[in-house]
Amino acid sequence: MQSESSTTTPSQHAHGHSVELRAVSVASTPNTAHSDTAIKVRGFSSWYGSFQALKSLDLDIPSRHVTAFIGPSGCGKSTFLRWINRMNDTIPSARAEGTLELHGKDLLAKSVDVVDLRRHVGMVFQKPNPFPKSIYDNVAFGPRLHRVYSRAELDQLVERSLRQASIWNEVKDRLHASALGLSGGQQQRLCIARAIAVGPEVLLMDEPCSALDPKSTLAIEELIESLADRYTIVIVTHNMQQAARVSDETAFFFEGRLVESGATEAIFTKPRNKQTEDYVTGRFG
Amino acid sequence: MSVNLQSRVIELRRNLLALGALVEQRVSSVIEVIRDGDVDLARKVRAGDAEIDQMQLALEGECMRLLALGSPVASDLRLILTAMRVSNELERIADMCKGISKRVIRLVESGSYRYPSALVQMIEAALSMLRDVLVAFSNQDIQLCLEVRRADSYVDGLNREVVAWAREWIEQDVEKSGAAIELLAIAQRVERLADIVTAIAEDTVFLVEGRLVRHGLE
Repeated sequence: MQSESSTTTPSQHAHGHSVELRAVSVASTPNTAHSDTAIKVRGFSSWYGSFQALKSLDLDIPSRHVTAFIGPSGCGKSTFLRWINRMNDTIPSARAEGTLELHGKDLLAKSVDVVDLRRHVGMVFQKPNPFPKSIYDNVAFGPRLHRVYSRAELDQLVERSLRQASIWNEVKDRLHASALGLSGGQQQRLCIARAIAVGPEVLLMDEPCSALDPKSTLAIEELIESLADRYTIVIVTHNMQQAARVSDETAFFFEGRLVESGATEAIFTKPRNKQTEDYVTGRFG
Repeated sequence: MSVNLQSRVIELRRNLLALGALVEQRVSSVIEVIRDGDVDLARKVRAGDAEIDQMQLALEGECMRLLALGSPVASDLRLILTAMRVSNELERIADMCKGISKRVIRLVESGSYRYPSALVQMIEAALSMLRDVLVAFSNQDIQLCLEVRRADSYVDGLNREVVAWAREWIEQDVEKSGAAIELLAIAQRVERLADIVTAIAEDTVFLVEGRLVRHGLE
């Protein structure tokens, strides 16, 4: 991952409730020129009304790696995460310009079907948010939206997703019990299983452990590590040690700018930028 | 923890430099021990080793506490890792001083203490290297670290002169073989002392640049 200067002519996009949705699949065979880069960002800026939240970001997020976004509150890291699966579409005043591509496909294009996009770019939130349904139905919910499965197919898919999310052994005997009866850590792993079930390529995680106890946090971190060879994972975290433990690459945001990005080892041992150094050592932020 | 970590890292650095200053005094004393055959001073150097051992243990313990409790990263992490190594290296330099003093006492008391001027030049050069490396550590001066590394070969050259001198001494008076061997052991310790100072210079490069430059690697 590296920051580069933009050579792309920024194109303007405006998103809100009025965006016309049309079924355009964003997942495709990766462009060979981007075979190692899942998400390409060039000259990307965004606004909420007149407030500029992100300022000309340039970043390559590598495929099948864990990339951590770090930075103080309000630096724009969660805003950027929300642009990757177009969550900001729900905010009428939000708009963006520049390049934001998933394997060469423009994620900001009006033609992008955001429902389809979110099948390829899953999201896990700070607070576990299982549906008030059974464990089984939580996992089966997404796949059922996209196509019709036989019972056997769905059973297999649910089991595979729960296994990948390292929660199968804990819930296999109570698949039809309410998901709300699970502990916070189990609920978060269930939410990851739910995200995995629709076969995403990218998993976005917005402080996925901030509401969890240390044991559950460890379970999620181990899960992230085990998923990294199959998914491109982007995690926003305020926990420096978590970023250091779970990520391969780290990007440091400050006041809407990408200050520094690179191998996590370098960011946490010898950052190039003094602002990064001051932030990771706790001298500010 | 972070504010606390910062103040404790500053204190760690100060304590490491204090240990360095104490070890520098020991090496300075050893110059007099070698040059003058000063047995009383040699005994003081030997007796003072326990103080340095205690300081080194305290520093190492603090490094371990900061690593376990402070979750240090970046420059804090590099300083703590470097302090662990350098405190150990300084303690080994003090051990060298103790070993040299022990042998000088033995040679003087046996009435067979002789030495070539190259031996005094060796220990003086090693002291100069140690002073430079402590300044380099304090000022984060990479250039000075590289000069310290280069100075090590000068000490190696002097060591060869001492070896040649001892060989000649043995050839002239074979009964002095034992004394000559003791003298070579002293020179070997001085040479080793300079090697350890070089290792501190390399650790300082890691402290400043995060680069490992040991084993001749640039």
